[in-house]
Amino acid sequence: MANAFLLDLGRCIGCQACVVACKAGNELNEGTQYIRILEQVRGTFPNLAGGFDNHRCYHCADAACVAVCPTHALFKEDGLTRLDRDICSGCGYCIESCPYGVPEMVDGRSSKCDACAATTKAGGDPWCVTTCPSRALMYGDKEEVLAEANARVAVMKNRYPNAQVYGETQAGGLGVIMVVPDDPEVLDLPLKPDPPLVSQAWQKVVQPGSIALTGVTIAAAGVAAVIARRNHMAELRAVEDAAAADTTEEV
Amino acid sequence: MATRNHDHELLRYRRNQRIIHALLASSFLILLLSGLVLLWDPLSVFASGGTSRLLHRIAAVGFMAVPIAYLIADREGAKELLVDSFKYDRDDIEWIKHMYRYAMGHATEMPPQGRLNAGQKLHHAAVVIVSAAIVVTGLAMWFFKSGLGASGLAWAAIIHDFAMLALTLLLVGHLYFTFVYKALSGMTTGYVPELEAKIEHSKWVEELEAAEHEAAAAKEVPSA
Repeated sequence: MANAFLLDLGRCIGCQACVVACKAGNELNEGTQYIRILEQVRGTFPNLAGGFDNHRCYHCADAACVAVCPTHALFKEDGLTRLDRDICSGCGYCIESCPYGVPEMVDGRSSKCDACAATTKAGGDPWCVTTCPSRALMYGDKEEVLAEANARVAVMKNRYPNAQVYGETQAGGLGVIMVVPDDPEVLDLPLKPDPPLVSQAWQKVVQPGSIALTGVTIAAAGVAAVIARRNHMAELRAVEDAAAADTTEEV
Repeated sequence: MATRNHDHELLRYRRNQRIIHALLASSFLILLLSGLVLLWDPLSVFASGGTSRLLHRIAAVGFMAVPIAYLIADREGAKELLVDSFKYDRDDIEWIKHMYRYAMGHATEMPPQGRLNAGQKLHHAAVVIVSAAIVVTGLAMWFFKSGLGASGLAWAAIIHDFAMLALTLLLVGHLYFTFVYKALSGMTTGYVPELEAKIEHSKWVEELEAAEHEAAAAKEVPSA
């Protein structure tokens, strides 16, 4: 079953309650922060609108960070992207690969939202969702979240004709379904956050292929080496015998 | 240093050359294992917190120091290795055409070879070129990671992976020929049996003998 967040950017009031609840609930150290609220001025003069960017991990189904993580510290579970900091090597590949610029390096290891794994697995809601006073956040079954998002967009269309759902298709479908009041570009959201093919090929094709090829080569070389060495020893004996025969003849 | 010892053996690698070879071999093996940690899941515990990465970078410095160390320790040897490895004569071409026979342990009917046979030349040349690729991509990921972008990083890593695959296969071949032609002594004591050198590197043995005759002649002249 895939779970998902609903993030309604038409309702976010930028109050920072989710930021604080996340930090407190997850007992994050100083300097660690999973959500950042950034004030946004959208559109071009004179058609300007204000709003907030609720910047956080969007839990891509085709997550670039998961594709490039060499130790599987980042992995997919229930449609969400988890992070096991204990096995993170701190290589920073996820930081370079994330299309949304989400993971951060904290104390030599990657740091990002893991969708309150401990709380949600016990049946609870993530801390940010529990706290949100403007009902901009919701958490639950992805299908239900998507239905709610579409319903909200239908209502918003009256005042915001460009309102739409973002995240249904991007990067294989996001784990954070967003309700956006305007075109995604206006909100600085990438239209194609999908990871490049080369990122996918790197650890799914190139590396296992290399290991397999090395294994096959070692096995074949091992067998051939035994045969070839036997050939060479026979050849050396023949040369030594011939040399010995020469000396005997000379005597 | 004497070019031969009492056991009918010829000096193939001088002491400093053997030390440089040991530096290359040890740094390469550490790089291989600490890199493998990121490819092979059961080993990934060694990567947590950056343990294997630190080891990888220390070994990388050792690996990159090899050409410089070689030039300092044995300038002539380094130059000879590099020049020889990229120069192929008619015998070498013929040798390469029949390389399969040599690989299967038949050295006696191969075209005559110098100090390095054509296979060793190809091996050295490939190691030099592929190592350059691995150093460039490695340094890019070490120092310019944030400038590469998602695709650039993946490309650098893939080139790094392919280069390491090539070097590992070259190592398998290197160990293969060491075993088949029981050539380990060249890198441990530095000496190899004269009989085998005559079969596998006849032009080199002729050169050594010519040099010895010349030296002997030069000694005799003053006394005559």
